[in-house]
Amino acid sequence: MHHLLYIDPGSGSYLVQVLVGAALGVVMFFKNIKMYILSLFRRTPKKDDDE
Amino acid sequence: MMSETGIHPSSYRDPSGFVFRSGNTMYRQVNPVYRDHYDHLMQSGLYEKLTQKKWLIPHTETDGQSLGAKDYYKILLPQQIPFISFPYEWTFPMLQDAALRTLKVMRISLDHDMILKDATPYNIQWLDNRMQLIDTLSFEKYEENKPWIAYRQFCECFLSPLLLMHYSKQPLQAMMLAYPEGIPLEIARSMLPWRSRFSLYTWMHIHLHAKYAGKHKGENEQRAHISKKKLLALVDSLQSLIKSLKPGIRQSTWGAYYEEASTREGYFAAKNDIITNWVNKQEGIHTATDFGANDGHFSRIVAAKGIHTIAMDADVLAISSLYEQLKKEKEVSIQPLLSDLSNPAPAIGVNNQERDSLITRIANRDLGLALALIHHLCIGRNIPFTALAGFFASSCRKLIIEFVPVNDPKSQQLLLNKKNIYGWYHAEGFEKAFSRYFRILDKTQVTGTERVLYLMERAS
Repeated sequence: MHHLLYIDPGSGSYLVQVLVGAALGVVMFFKNIKMYILSLFRRTPKKDDDE
Repeated sequence: MMSETGIHPSSYRDPSGFVFRSGNTMYRQVNPVYRDHYDHLMQSGLYEKLTQKKWLIPHTETDGQSLGAKDYYKILLPQQIPFISFPYEWTFPMLQDAALRTLKVMRISLDHDMILKDATPYNIQWLDNRMQLIDTLSFEKYEENKPWIAYRQFCECFLSPLLLMHYSKQPLQAMMLAYPEGIPLEIARSMLPWRSRFSLYTWMHIHLHAKYAGKHKGENEQRAHISKKKLLALVDSLQSLIKSLKPGIRQSTWGAYYEEASTREGYFAAKNDIITNWVNKQEGIHTATDFGANDGHFSRIVAAKGIHTIAMDADVLAISSLYEQLKKEKEVSIQPLLSDLSNPAPAIGVNNQERDSLITRIANRDLGLALALIHHLCIGRNIPFTALAGFFASSCRKLIIEFVPVNDPKSQQLLLNKKNIYGWYHAEGFEKAFSRYFRILDKTQVTGTERVLYLMERAS
C-alpha cells in the first residue's frame, strides 16, 4: 500500500505518536477513574455538541 | 484556474485520483490504484454515515467515457460547490470547526477500519452550513498498529495556527497564507509562549513533536507501532485540546455597528426599504457578494431569495459572529469570508495556480452590494474611485453601492487625525469613475442623511 503514501509523515512523527500514545494511556487511566467517581454524583452524562 | 486538460492544478499530489472540470461541472476521477479503498469506503457503510451527517460531500458515480476520461476506476460527480474559500479567509471558529470535523471524520473512519491519509483544511469547505470534507479520496484502509500518516500534517495545518492565535490573542490568518502546507512545528514551537508547555496536550503535539520531527530516520520509524486504542486516544486528545482553544480577540470597531447604526433616526429603516425593494426587482440573480457585510444583515436579504451570497468583511469579530449564527441555520446560503478588500488573497502554490486569488474566485457574480464601505476604502485607504470601479466591474454584473459623502459624520471620523487630501472625493467624481464601467439605473438619497444609494448595471 506504499504507493498511496504520497504525503511525508515527517520523520520522527511516527515515533512521537508511539510516545504520545503511551503517555495518553496513562492519562486515560486516571481520567477514567476521575470520570467514574464524577459519574457517581452526576445524573446525566454531558452530551457531545453537534449532530 | 484549470489546465488545458481540465485537471485542477491543485490536484496533483495524490495518485489515488484527481479533480477535473468538464464544461461547468467538476468531476473526480478515481484511479485503479485506489480501487480497494474506494470500494471499502462505499461498502463499509462509512460513506453513507458521513454523507448522512453532512460531514462528507455526497457524489454519484457517472459515465466516464462520455467525458473522455482515461485509465479510471470510477468517475464521480460530486455535489457542486458554489464557492471555494481558503483557511486564510476563515476566522478562528471556522478553522476550529474544520479541525474538529476532520477529527470526527477520522474517528468514525477508524470505526469502519479506515483512516484519513491526509488532514488539511484545504479539504474542508463550508457547504450547506456545515464544514464538510470534500475530498472523497482522503480515506484508506486502516492497517492494524500503523501510526497516522497525516498526524504531522494535521498538527501543522490546524493545530499550529489555532494555538498561535489562542496564545497571542491575535488574528494570524496571514500566517496560513505564508505557509499553505501548514505552519512548521519548529516555527510554531518557537513562537508559542513558554507557558504553553504547561498544557500537556500542547506540549505533546507541538513541543515534543517538533523536537522529534526531523531527528529520527530510517528503520526505527518503519517499525513504530501504535494500537488502535491509543490512536483513538491521540485523536481524542487533539479534539479536547482544540475544543479548549479560544480566539481571545476583543470587541472590534464594527462588532456593534448595526446596533449603533439602527439608532440613527430612520436611516437604517430607509436604507433597508430601498435595498429590499431593489433586490426584489432584479431578475436572473443567482450569485451575489456583499462587500463589507458586517453582521450580514443585507446578505440575508439577498440570500432569502435563494441567491448564494458571499458575506465578506475584514472584521474578524463580525465574520465570526455571522458564522456562529449561520451554523444554527440550515437553509440560508451564505458564505462568511474574512477578507480585506484593500488586500484580497493572492493566487498561491505551484505556478501560483493551486489556490486562485480571491479576485478570480469572486469574478462575475450577478450582484454586488457595497454598503457604507466606499469611504473606508477611499478615505481610510486612499484608494481612488477608478481602481474601485474597475474592481467592482470585474466582480459583479449589477451593483448596489452607497456613496458616503465627505461631510458625513462617519467620513469625518476617518479624517479626525488625517489631513484632508481628498479633494477628489465627491459624488460627481464617483459617478464619473463608475460610469466608465457601469450604467446608473437608479439612485436615491437615504432619508435624513446625505448618503446616496446607487443601483448600477455593468455596461457590456
